[in-house]
Amino acid sequence: MTSFTESEERLALRKAVGELARGYGHEYYQEKARGGGHTTELWDEAGRLGYLGVAVPEEYGGGGAGIGDLAAVCEEFCAAGTPMLLMVVSPAICATVIARFGTDEQKRRWLPGFADGSVRMAFGITEPDAGSNSHRITTTAKRDGGDWILNGRKVFISGVDEADAVLIVGRTEDARTGRLKPALYIVPTDAPGFEYQRIPMDLVSADNQFSLFLDDVRLPGDALVGSEDAAIAQLFAGLNPERIMGASFSVGIARYALDKGVAYAKERSVFGAPIGSHQGLAHPLAQVKIELELAKLMTQKAASLYDGGDDFGAGEAANMAKYAGAEVAIRAVDQAVQVHGGNGLASEYGLGTLLGAVRVGRIAPVSREMVLNFVAQHSLGLPKSY
Amino acid sequence: MTNIVVLVKQVPDTYSERKLSESDHTLDRESADAVIDEINERSVEEALKIKEAGEGEVTVLCVGPDRATDAIRKALSMGADKAIHVSDESLHGSDMLATAKVLAAAIGKVEGVDLVIAGNEASDGRGGAVPAMLAELLGLPQLTHVRQLTVEGGSVKADRETEEGITHLEANLPAIVSVTEKINEPRYPSFKGIMAAKKKPVETLTVADLGVDSGEVGLGNAWSTVLEASPKPPRTAGERVEDDGDGGTKVAEYLVAQKLI
Repeated sequence: MTSFTESEERLALRKAVGELARGYGHEYYQEKARGGGHTTELWDEAGRLGYLGVAVPEEYGGGGAGIGDLAAVCEEFCAAGTPMLLMVVSPAICATVIARFGTDEQKRRWLPGFADGSVRMAFGITEPDAGSNSHRITTTAKRDGGDWILNGRKVFISGVDEADAVLIVGRTEDARTGRLKPALYIVPTDAPGFEYQRIPMDLVSADNQFSLFLDDVRLPGDALVGSEDAAIAQLFAGLNPERIMGASFSVGIARYALDKGVAYAKERSVFGAPIGSHQGLAHPLAQVKIELELAKLMTQKAASLYDGGDDFGAGEAANMAKYAGAEVAIRAVDQAVQVHGGNGLASEYGLGTLLGAVRVGRIAPVSREMVLNFVAQHSLGLPKSY
Repeated sequence: MTNIVVLVKQVPDTYSERKLSESDHTLDRESADAVIDEINERSVEEALKIKEAGEGEVTVLCVGPDRATDAIRKALSMGADKAIHVSDESLHGSDMLATAKVLAAAIGKVEGVDLVIAGNEASDGRGGAVPAMLAELLGLPQLTHVRQLTVEGGSVKADRETEEGITHLEANLPAIVSVTEKINEPRYPSFKGIMAAKKKPVETLTVADLGVDSGEVGLGNAWSTVLEASPKPPRTAGERVEDDGDGGTKVAEYLVAQKLI
């Protein structure tokens, strides 16, 4: 890392995104989330302005910048109270995988849509019986002439009802060894045999979770992303941005909650002085601020390593950033609610629903425990525990 | 091809606490976040709309300290083509007359100007006289307080809205227009606009470069002097009205007493 300040352009991008998002505001988000709607208008406008396509290569109409810029966009949307979960998957995982590994035809077909936000693509990896163990994925693709036939199940897949297609992680038989190896397929959400069911969640979110059922889904030969042997590299290329975006998502929500908590602590006066003058409330807010800046710094480091081409180095930093972001978001929301007293749980103050939302960051895209396993094993060299 | 100059001012953010410095009663620039005046985003938007409807070039003109480059950059990221930044220590504390002279000289540096677009008043000084002064200095027609604008061939048509009503104006180009907040909704800069802004030409000029006499600008040469300034008294607690079923009437009576209705 050569600098601890962001470029002028990224700061201007943050400002522009923040202004757009605050124009919609948290009330817009809440209304959509509670009414079962989506943040379609905001997504579309952000797409037209090129904010969602900042990391798509310029030759396909994108901004030609990196994951660091995309993560900044994601963070600003969250900080303004208008989180867009699909940013973590559609432009970050799917567009990156296709841009880095797709065939020329796949790039021409999908990247211009990622560049202007007109394409939304979900990402399907988690399975009911595999959980965090991606080696146990059972969704299987078989060759049938020039086509592929996919069968399998997925759970907790975000935003499928909004998506044009889902990037499905499956497995296929290696022609030489006969063993199953991972492979990624682009499955249109209207493909015959592809069904999705909303999972009722106790979350107030404008993006829903789905179970997927793939029952003899027939796909053309070019549904396979890139070459048959590149899936592991593809997953690496896609999952690091997912963690970086997950971290930014959490950091943004932490900022939103901290801003609310601080504003209330300044303005609310009970015993003749603003409640923020009491260290019992001031110190926890200060601690959140420190942890927030640390999480953000690690997120920027991970993005910088990734954008610099160091996939492996980025992996460690991205895991740590995801962990730190999730933890500070939980703490920030908890403290902001506490500062607000009863108002913290009143709908009007826009904090209560975040109590559940920030717990998602500790579970997904990879659980806190799996991050700790990674750090214990890879960073500390401790014996493998699972 | 419409050659447009847009006047842009950097002002303290209206959301932050705005103060005058204690030493000379000029704006305390350190105490508040500096932003492009919102009315100028609308001025830029209007210029861009005219450009996009036909052909044209949009030059941003800003008089202000070094950090006003942020305001210029914002206008360029929205889509303006180039900028002139007049930055000179000697301008500190200039009044509207001096500012208008400097602006007039700077506009003279742009060849073949058809239209100058300004905001009707800045959110900090709130004098609202610079566009008219500029028209006088340049000998151009002025169309001020404009809420709707159309350029057709060599003329400009505008709806001027004031408390007295709406006046329909028409003038030959070149002309000076000042716009109100009703003129349009400014666009957000696109990512491509943000990336392109840094590469656009910004010409930085001093008072000497413009051939303006330094004895005409600055705090010492201003036609008015601030002798004293005190902060606005803190807001007092409002009047509390108990609603015993006649709350509506009481609210109406209060508004009548304040001459609001």
